[in-house]
Amino acid sequence: MLLFRDEEHVDRWCAARDLPRGAIITPEQTWRLADGWYKNKVKPDWRRHTLEETEALLSSIGLTSAFWNLRG
Amino acid sequence: MTEPAKDLDALARDVRIHVFREAATTARVPQAPDISRALGRSEADVRAALHELAIAKVLILAPNDGNIWAANPFCAVPSGFRVAAAGKHYWGICIWDALGIVAALGTDAVITAPCGDCGAGMTLEVRNGQLVRSEGVVHFAIPAHHWWDNIGFT
Repeated sequence: MLLFRDEEHVDRWCAARDLPRGAIITPEQTWRLADGWYKNKVKPDWRRHTLEETEALLSSIGLTSAFWNLRG
Repeated sequence: MTEPAKDLDALARDVRIHVFREAATTARVPQAPDISRALGRSEADVRAALHELAIAKVLILAPNDGNIWAANPFCAVPSGFRVAAAGKHYWGICIWDALGIVAALGTDAVITAPCGDCGAGMTLEVRNGQLVRSEGVVHFAIPAHHWWDNIGFT
């Protein structure tokens, strides 16, 4: 996941690699995603999120389109 | 007698706890020889445990030498995604992981990262659990259910 100055830079990067545009989210959404995903990773009792927990995290950030579907 | 599989599971847990604690407290991801010395286990056992952890997607091994590439969010080698926190410098393999380092440390931090297109530097800052400064947009190139197909590209 890369940071870009703006959406024009995203499109230029995608075009240079012949890739379709993926999903663009804000740094704030990314922070909330990172916080939910990683805040316990260093703790001894860390465990992987369940699929349902991950879906709830994505949904809580507004990431609900097909792009964020974890079930394939 | 301890069953080999259970012993490996127990060692994998000890290795996980050690690797992530070291990465967080020292900003350096330990490798198999370091872990072997710290835990008093053979390097072969530690590498087997690291392999287990990689299969479980707890961390990522480098494809060629089997060293830890990332105990994600902590990247073992310098990258463009730099996190300054608690008087140390950490690296993430992407902007998500750079922010993940801040979350895992639970501390204030300043992140510097380049624009993926033009390379211009940008700065994000987290203070008291809030993103108080940010620039740019974040692009996910790969749909979520394909993230682990090629995690290096994702």
